[in-house]
Amino acid sequence: MSVRLWSVVAAVACLLAGAAGARPAAAHHSFAMYDHDRTVTLMGTVTKFQWTNPHAYLEVDVVNEEGAVTHYSIEMTSINMMRRIGWKSSLIKPGDKVAATMAALLDGRPGGLLLDVTLPDGKVWKTGVPAEHTFTRTPDAVVGVQK
Amino acid sequence: MIRVALTRVSLATILLAGTALPALAKDALDITGRWQRYGIGANAANMAEGEKKFTPPPRPEPPLKPEYLEKWKAFEKEKKEAAAAGTPFATTWNDCIGSGMPEMMAAAFPMEILQTDGQITIIQEAFMEIRRIYLDQPQVSLDDIELGYYGHSVGHWEDGELHAETIGIKPDVQVNDAPHSETMKIEETFHMVSDDIMWVDITLVDPDYLTKPWSWSYAFQKMPDYQMQEYVCEGNREYTDEDGYQRIRLPE
Repeated sequence: MSVRLWSVVAAVACLLAGAAGARPAAAHHSFAMYDHDRTVTLMGTVTKFQWTNPHAYLEVDVVNEEGAVTHYSIEMTSINMMRRIGWKSSLIKPGDKVAATMAALLDGRPGGLLLDVTLPDGKVWKTGVPAEHTFTRTPDAVVGVQK
Repeated sequence: MIRVALTRVSLATILLAGTALPALAKDALDITGRWQRYGIGANAANMAEGEKKFTPPPRPEPPLKPEYLEKWKAFEKEKKEAAAAGTPFATTWNDCIGSGMPEMMAAAFPMEILQTDGQITIIQEAFMEIRRIYLDQPQVSLDDIELGYYGHSVGHWEDGELHAETIGIKPDVQVNDAPHSETMKIEETFHMVSDDIMWVDITLVDPDYLTKPWSWSYAFQKMPDYQMQEYVCEGNREYTDEDGYQRIRLPE
């Protein structure tokens, strides 16, 4: 949505609510829509690694003990930030079996914010999430079985 | 063979010409290069006690006039409550729009400064935002420009400091959601505080909205070996919903 449309929406909302002042154009991303109180580690198989700005995404299929598959979309940080800590677009490929530790979406949909991922070679890669320390880790919360 | 040799010479000449620094004005400093914010994030956490003197204090609240301050504080409260509820308000970044001036100088990503004849160009890696400061020229009239994200900047060097003035910022391009008028001026002073740390003082002057000028500072450290990366928004899944909240699309 453009800033102009944003202002129109805000102005309409203010008129409807009788409030004063528009919601203007500030900057920066927020990760407040992700659970800061616990993490979930997904044991799954990568279907896609989207290497783009403003953020990269990891798509993972997770199979439970009954064999049911749930697909997760996991947001990462900017690829510029990831490049600065050593990431490359070729680091993860479809078919890779990974352990992805994420802060889950609070709205309950199958998605989250990737804090780190363990790749098939056993190496752990962090994504450089700003203020990562504000996410409480719960390593015992594991979803999926690796086959 | 001769043609190839001539091409090489020509290319070399062009490359040499392209890398030659322009003659800097008297009192000017060489601030060309890549810079990163100093004193924030991981670099602040690893900072020795003695280095903290180059860390500017946090930006103060905007000294808004009472009629605007009340609304601003109410909105700040609303923002915090929305974020605490896991439903943050959207920002321009969610829609892949940069910060504009002066917030782009917060430089969440590396920043490049280029000094050429009569102009200083500042490029932010995030969103590839660009601003230009025209040197030793009078400021234009607001009637002669269109309001925008970066406005019109002029500047000059004086005693080793770069003084810049910017006008023409759209009222909905804001710092921390603080309202401003179309006549707001942004005054900046750039100077070096050590061999590799640059300090930028920023002051917003807007008597229509502020009880006094609003000032804060940023420090930047040189990144001598860094090469700027491109930043193109091509896979954005975030968006602003009809109520102004930040949302994310998941694949079907």
